[in-house]
Amino acid sequence: MTGAAGTTGPATTGSGSTGPAATDTAGPGAARTVTARTDAAGPGRTAAALQSALAAENAAIYGYGVAGAQLGTAARERALRDWTEHEVARDQLQAMLTSLGVKPVAAQPAYRLPFPVHGTRAAISLAGYLENQVAAAYLGIVALDDSRLRTWSAGQAQACALRATTWLGRTAAFPGLASGTGPATARPSASP
Amino acid sequence: MRADLRRRSVLAAAMMAVPLVAAGCKGVGALGTPPEPGPDVAMLRGAIGTEQALIARYRSAMAGSPALAGTLSPLLAQHREHLARLTSMLIEPPGRSASPQATPSPASTAAPGTGPAATLAALEAAESDAARSLAGRLALAPPALAQLMASIAASEASHALLLRTHEAGG
Repeated sequence: MTGAAGTTGPATTGSGSTGPAATDTAGPGAARTVTARTDAAGPGRTAAALQSALAAENAAIYGYGVAGAQLGTAARERALRDWTEHEVARDQLQAMLTSLGVKPVAAQPAYRLPFPVHGTRAAISLAGYLENQVAAAYLGIVALDDSRLRTWSAGQAQACALRATTWLGRTAAFPGLASGTGPATARPSASP
Repeated sequence: MRADLRRRSVLAAAMMAVPLVAAGCKGVGALGTPPEPGPDVAMLRGAIGTEQALIARYRSAMAGSPALAGTLSPLLAQHREHLARLTSMLIEPPGRSASPQATPSPASTAAPGTGPAATLAALEAAESDAARSLAGRLALAPPALAQLMASIAASEASHALLLRTHEAGG
């Protein structure tokens, strides 16, 4: 299961297998929800979702370093605070994986950025982009059955949305999910 | 009069039968009485009701404080997106209204107060309540609904943050 999570850069944070496949055929009788079928839940699935989140955190930590270098003093301090929060989350994910007997995915020496980052505006856009990618990865954990992990990762996704709003000055309708009214998916959008 | 009496008792018997069917009498249920919706349906209806109540609050706030339209309309638009996505997950049997009745939450009965600052503060509180309520019900939801609820809760928490920022900024 190690290595299944994104090792190629910030663009690969979602775990396709944990995304909700919206398929259901309701009978004529009862109202139902469109639900994803829960895969045979197991430690492998849990580890894969945690690894995806860890890979996203690793990418965000790298990305905040890039963004911070482009920011003025006040914004750089905020980037440092957010960077630290991502490091704390990374440590928690590593500890969870280790306790499952799984080797945490390692950070890459460098990550491909989604767009060139020169100047304050691009740096702020990068921070917003990274937060959405990390939120998407946490929603992959929300899809697991473990209620404690669900609550924790939902809190992490919320923290990502709050940081993104602070950077961008605007909110998103579906942080970490693709927009629109189609079937929900945990896969992050390809473009920022 | 006698016929009328008999009709009444038939109606009463029919009403008495409903709980029995709901309790899982499969023999009668097979005759066509819809089974009780599952707990996830109740959860989804609750989330839909909350969004409808929030949309009503925003509309009323914008009517009362037109100067806030620039701040509030993007947030209102996102609540409409929430509602559409939630509604799309609910499959209603034919003949039933696709959108359930709005059930105003206790929080939404709070008076909006007077002036833009009070309006923003009331909306911020409603957003925080909605986010907390969704996050608190995540554990029991099926995976896809849990992800959607978590995302909407995150959106609403960030709405609250944005509203707080506008309050502070005047």
